Amino acid sequence: MTDKLRTFLAQSNIANWLGFSIAEENGALRYALSFDEQHIGNPAIRALHGGAIAAFLEVAAQCELLNALPGNAAVRTVNLDIDYLASSRAQDMYGRARITRLGRRIAFVEAEGWQESKDRPVSRARFRLRIDANTQT
Amino acid sequence: MTREINPAIGAMLKNARDWLTHEHSLFRSLKLEPMLIGKGKATFAVDLPEDFAGASGAIHGGLLTIIMDSIFGLCVFTALDKLKPIATINLRSDYLADAAPGERVICDADCIKILDEVAFVTGKVTTKNSGIILASGSGAFMVGTRGLTKASRL
Repeated sequence: MTDKLRTFLAQSNIANWLGFSIAEENGALRYALSFDEQHIGNPAIRALHGGAIAAFLEVAAQCELLNALPGNAAVRTVNLDIDYLASSRAQDMYGRARITRLGRRIAFVEAEGWQESKDRPVSRARFRLRIDANTQT
Repeated sequence: MTREINPAIGAMLKNARDWLTHEHSLFRSLKLEPMLIGKGKATFAVDLPEDFAGASGAIHGGLLTIIMDSIFGLCVFTALDKLKPIATINLRSDYLADAAPGERVICDADCIKILDEVAFVTGKVTTKNSGIILASGSGAFMVGTRGLTKASRL
């Protein structure tokens, strides 16, 4: 993980709340949510809160984009769409993200999260982010 | 469709409210307070704790999505004639302004239609004091999910 991402995560309280971490796998970034009771949505079904999954994928998308931008750029999420494809469990979640289009001002990033197997995504989301090239991060 | 909430669902919502505000760690930290609950309508006041700030220092959008997913889901329950489990199919959020940590906000949700066991909800998050709109969203929810602990959530 680059120093830029390390700094970004260290400054982000929500990343701490998510138990967010980054590992490198075959040259790509792999994101992880470390399970905590606070991530539970409905205790009757012991699943992760859908919003917590969305927040995890959003931080992943922001990291993926920041990693591709010059050092002093900042990003702000414009909007997102998230699909809940399968039930989640009360355990860690992993994620990966992909930049589908990097414009000068707007970037499109897709992210997906899984638990047991990469082949069975729990959730997939699309994010549009505004790039501010002049802001210090 | 009657205007009144089904009594069984009303009782469930009251239990849910007690549970949401007293036991559940996520919702307790958000200091959830019901302001208006009607059939297909739900308005709650919520805190934006500093724990959910992003790297910029402003509240991270993810918290607004967490709030909308929660309140939109509660709103679906108020619209049902019979208590059934629900699951989010998909959700869309637009982030319209930054919020400062510690701000108290209002999330209002409107279940505009239930068609073939799919509930459609729209809503927004505004600041309680000045009415500034922070986020707008819409979601679809499956009503009457199969199996609560295994199989697909849909």
